[in-house]
Amino acid sequence: MEILKISLAFFKIGIVAFGGGWSVVGLIKQEIVPNWMSADAFSSLIAIAQSTPGPIALNAATLVGWQKAGFLGALAATFSVIAFPLIAMSITLAFSKYIPLKKDLADESLRSGSMAMIIMTLWTLLPQNTLPGPWIFALASFGVTAFTKVNGVWVILGAGAINMLLGVLP
Amino acid sequence: MKIPSKRKGPNKTTKKTEPTPLRIFLTLAQINTLTLGGGYVIVPVIGNSFQKQGWIDEEEFYRIFSRAQVFPGPVALSTSFLCSYRIAGVKGAIAAVLGVVLPPFIALILVGGFISLYGDSELFKRFLNGAGAVVPGLVGSMLWKTAKNRKWTARIFIEVGILAILLILFPSAAFFILIGGIVALYLGRLLWKS
Repeated sequence: MEILKISLAFFKIGIVAFGGGWSVVGLIKQEIVPNWMSADAFSSLIAIAQSTPGPIALNAATLVGWQKAGFLGALAATFSVIAFPLIAMSITLAFSKYIPLKKDLADESLRSGSMAMIIMTLWTLLPQNTLPGPWIFALASFGVTAFTKVNGVWVILGAGAINMLLGVLP
Repeated sequence: MKIPSKRKGPNKTTKKTEPTPLRIFLTLAQINTLTLGGGYVIVPVIGNSFQKQGWIDEEEFYRIFSRAQVFPGPVALSTSFLCSYRIAGVKGAIAAVLGVVLPPFIALILVGGFISLYGDSELFKRFLNGAGAVVPGLVGSMLWKTAKNRKWTARIFIEVGILAILLILFPSAAFFILIGGIVALYLGRLLWKS
């Protein structure tokens, strides 16, 4: 039952997973917090998903499935999240002559949609309290990744290592 | 999304091979195992590799890439899927899906196993807390970069603003807000061009 519910949640996520990987994170959080895990555990999970190879939505699905229902859960969640995109592309390839979609208009609409999704993601992930520690980590990583060319993966691993040594975050 | 400008001059060291499903799978699996970072990091790597093997030219690749972005799901997956279908048919497309999905899946199972073993250790918890704490900053910088690269008009500002406010106020209806919203924006653009 658990597997079915997780699969359904990730199938739905797959339908609206537009834009870069980060845009969909807020939606994933909406589906699985607090039903399946706590907000803090979710942030750690996203950090892992981003610092391992592969698309973030896919990795998050694999991890959630794994934690909640073992290997089969991981398999089911992973394929659920890509099911709709694959179906949509296959249908389009088969019937592309008959689908009169104005690509540039669709493009602009999707960009607006995915940008709104990123804003929602940011909103739902902001630290929920006024302790300085989480805000300092978040602002420092914003500064580094927005204004230098450092890959976000190194920021994630670096922050993990710093906190492992200093233990500044509870 | 910026598309890299066409390079001038002949392609150097082009070693042509036949795009068999197995080769497509191995090429994509290798790239997906070794490349960290989002879809927009990995797509150009895929493009280079396909071009070097003489499977597709640059212009065609980025044409497919821009079409791939209309579909939901990871852009690395949709670009690989559509390109491989173009060069090797249905079998190529299936090989591409496996090449994109399998390596991260195996990596994550290993990581998941590692977490089950060591997830309770104090040091590892600290590591995860530190790693998780930077995530909002990374999302913020993604938003900053996306916003910077867009041509802002009043229309786009209103579109993004209304959708974002609706998503934040009614997160449990996010799914329907997005589907309805994107369809409405598309129809709106079809009816009132500006």
